[in-house]
Amino acid sequence: MADELYLENIDEFVTDQNRVVTYKWLSYTLGVHVNQAKQMLYDYVERKRKENSGAQLHVTYLVAGNLLQNGHVCHKVAVVREDKLEAMKSKLSTITSVHVYSIQKALLKDSSPLYNTDYDIVKTNLQHCSKFSAICCAAAVPRTPRDAPRVPAPAQSPQRHRDPGAAGVLNGHGPPAAKAPPQQHKGIMGMFAAKAASKPQDTPKETKAEAKEAPGVSAASSKAPTKNNIMNNFFGKAAMNKLKASSVPEQPKEEKEVVKPSVAVTEPESSPITVGEKPGKKSESGRIQQKDKKSKTKRADRSDDEEERDPENVKKKRKRIKQLQSDSSDEE
Amino acid sequence: MFSEQTAPTAQGLLTPPSAEPPTFPRVPVSGYLDCSQPFQLGERSFSRQYAHIYAVRLAGMRPGLERCAQSRWGNDIALRKLSELQAGEKCCVVGTLFKAMQLQPSILQDISEEHNLVPQPPLPKYIQPSDELMLEDELQRIKLEGAIDVQRLVTGKGLVALWWHPPFRCWPGLTTCSATGTILAVYGSEQDDGRFLVEDHCFADLPPLLPWNGPSSDRFVLLASGLGLGSVSGEALLSTQLLVDVVTGQLGAEGEQSCAAHITRVILAGNLLSQNTQSRDTINKAKYLTKKTQAASVEAVKMLDEILLQLCTSVPVDVMPGEFDPTNYTLPQQPLHRCMLPLASAYATLRLVTNPYQANLDGVRFLGTSGQNISDIFKYSSMDDYLEILEWTLLAGHISPTAPDTLGCYPFYKSDPFILTECPHVYFCGNAPHFQSKLLQGKEGQRVLLVTVPDFSATQTACLINLRDLTCQPITFSGFGADSED
Repeated sequence: MADELYLENIDEFVTDQNRVVTYKWLSYTLGVHVNQAKQMLYDYVERKRKENSGAQLHVTYLVAGNLLQNGHVCHKVAVVREDKLEAMKSKLSTITSVHVYSIQKALLKDSSPLYNTDYDIVKTNLQHCSKFSAICCAAAVPRTPRDAPRVPAPAQSPQRHRDPGAAGVLNGHGPPAAKAPPQQHKGIMGMFAAKAASKPQDTPKETKAEAKEAPGVSAASSKAPTKNNIMNNFFGKAAMNKLKASSVPEQPKEEKEVVKPSVAVTEPESSPITVGEKPGKKSESGRIQQKDKKSKTKRADRSDDEEERDPENVKKKRKRIKQLQSDSSDEE
Repeated sequence: MFSEQTAPTAQGLLTPPSAEPPTFPRVPVSGYLDCSQPFQLGERSFSRQYAHIYAVRLAGMRPGLERCAQSRWGNDIALRKLSELQAGEKCCVVGTLFKAMQLQPSILQDISEEHNLVPQPPLPKYIQPSDELMLEDELQRIKLEGAIDVQRLVTGKGLVALWWHPPFRCWPGLTTCSATGTILAVYGSEQDDGRFLVEDHCFADLPPLLPWNGPSSDRFVLLASGLGLGSVSGEALLSTQLLVDVVTGQLGAEGEQSCAAHITRVILAGNLLSQNTQSRDTINKAKYLTKKTQAASVEAVKMLDEILLQLCTSVPVDVMPGEFDPTNYTLPQQPLHRCMLPLASAYATLRLVTNPYQANLDGVRFLGTSGQNISDIFKYSSMDDYLEILEWTLLAGHISPTAPDTLGCYPFYKSDPFILTECPHVYFCGNAPHFQSKLLQGKEGQRVLLVTVPDFSATQTACLINLRDLTCQPITFSGFGADSED
């Protein structure tokens, strides 16, 4: 039954992968409402304990309620281990919520694994962190680039700023539709994260706003079925699997893009893929990639080797900072 | 209060998964008006001396004080300036208070080489029994004695010209009497020895009434301060996450989530970063040691950005800077720059505001600071209770009377924006040691809710204010540690 699938999933997470499964982590992983995740966890615990009383399962609960403290009524929200649950419930004068917070195999000494699990899963889903929450806020819309007062970009790299700007850039002032994960990382902070991985994932979702990026990506992905080594160099290992997965839905997309007048697009279509051209195309699409992504580094053209792009960029960035610093110290 | 009606559904989530769970829409903000324009500085010029701010302060508060004095001591009392005093005549004088304190840190003493003094270490309180009070007006000053509590009152101001040096944190004066002070009216007479014998004194009392336009249904505002990100303590991190989860509706059973949907705003009153991020090493250490190190505040600001992003996708947030936040030191502190918070400032729900902050939320006037004004008065007065000090500043009619004497302040010259002209409905200060709240009733029908918002990193407590009936409830978060005991 599809409904029971979650039980197997939770079983796998807890026992096989030995994870700390919090309700929030489960909600994001399975893509369900947080309340459903809490109920799923409860259901799993009940069933597991019924069928196997020696089950090695430790549960933490969230208890919330009113408490009389120092003369005024205080609302208390606490995460407690199972053995302290009844004690906490008896302390509260009114209980407003009780639900399962997490399930894990090992007994937790303190609550830092809970915090770490939640932190990690939220970090990877920052762009839609309120998607599965029980409250939705109509006012929480990203500012449109028009509204947000933008400082005029410096003269040196206006083009590079604008292109990723169209794609949803530094401050995430992108078109609301393109809310996919990579945009948040366009700033300096996220530049070196493996967002190359998410790029091919996005093209199926995104609108044609990213005309420049998409051809670059599709150009790259068109080679996926053919030369794996080059793809490895281009994106890095983490992206490989996702790239393979998305290359199929991208095939029909490429055909649609035939209509689009774009220099990069015509190349992979018109010319047969030959070994000789690949480095050229790769470097060009690499350049486009670099231009789009590394808008801040003006030395993007220097490197054609995408394999070392990320660490080298880091190096480039370091060099830049170093230079600035050495300049100032030289002056002193 | 919050979650009273949620008890029935409390255990609702201890069941197997049911049908599609409900999603509650956040109660929209019906009226928001930012009234902090007086605290926003445009062009800043530091070429002026601080004498001007005292002059405008006295001029601004004199009419109100004279009215107060007349209503208190009779309409026929003589209102005199210090230069018009005659010995033995009972009269009322309006002026600024100045407290001569021996222990007050003074830059002149610090750098004076003749004395060979080691700079004084910071003390929790600088009061001493030998402190003296003086009253000053536009031209003269006079020593006060009599029915006046020297210890309790805060340093007054001096009209002596003050010279301000940018690099120093404390404020030098040409004499040791540099101060900002409370304006008050004293009733008494001048003695033969030149001192003024005080029989009674009064402050400006509560500012004029502001009409009430509050909502008729339950709406909550969450006040929290002192998140203290970037510190080494891990306990507060889970509590911060729990706070975000309660507000965004992830935590809790259905009843609690529907209650949380009535939280219309979150105000973070300062000290978002911890004191540990103020790495002063870069100033003292040699440059080759600190060249490639990153300031501790960089990581902390990234963490803050992520937390604010989670909040902003669900609720309007107002962020006030505090003592340890990356903004200017002098009051009024300007808003944090949005470039530090790229993820969160993409959302229109994030508002970066000044410290002090004043705004109309759903018809209720909020006014508050991040606590620097209160903690400064704490240091120079015998008053120990933050709530008492908060109430006292309201009754004195001035948000931070010790600025610019012992608290950094911008040299205003046209008007003093810290004078209270209207009575707020909610008056708060952040980073207090504990949570306290009190509903103050005024003579003209003013109702003020005084709230001292506790330091979250130490107490894991925030405050929920119900706008409908001006009540306040603390909300505490906790995890469990190795020595879990409540």
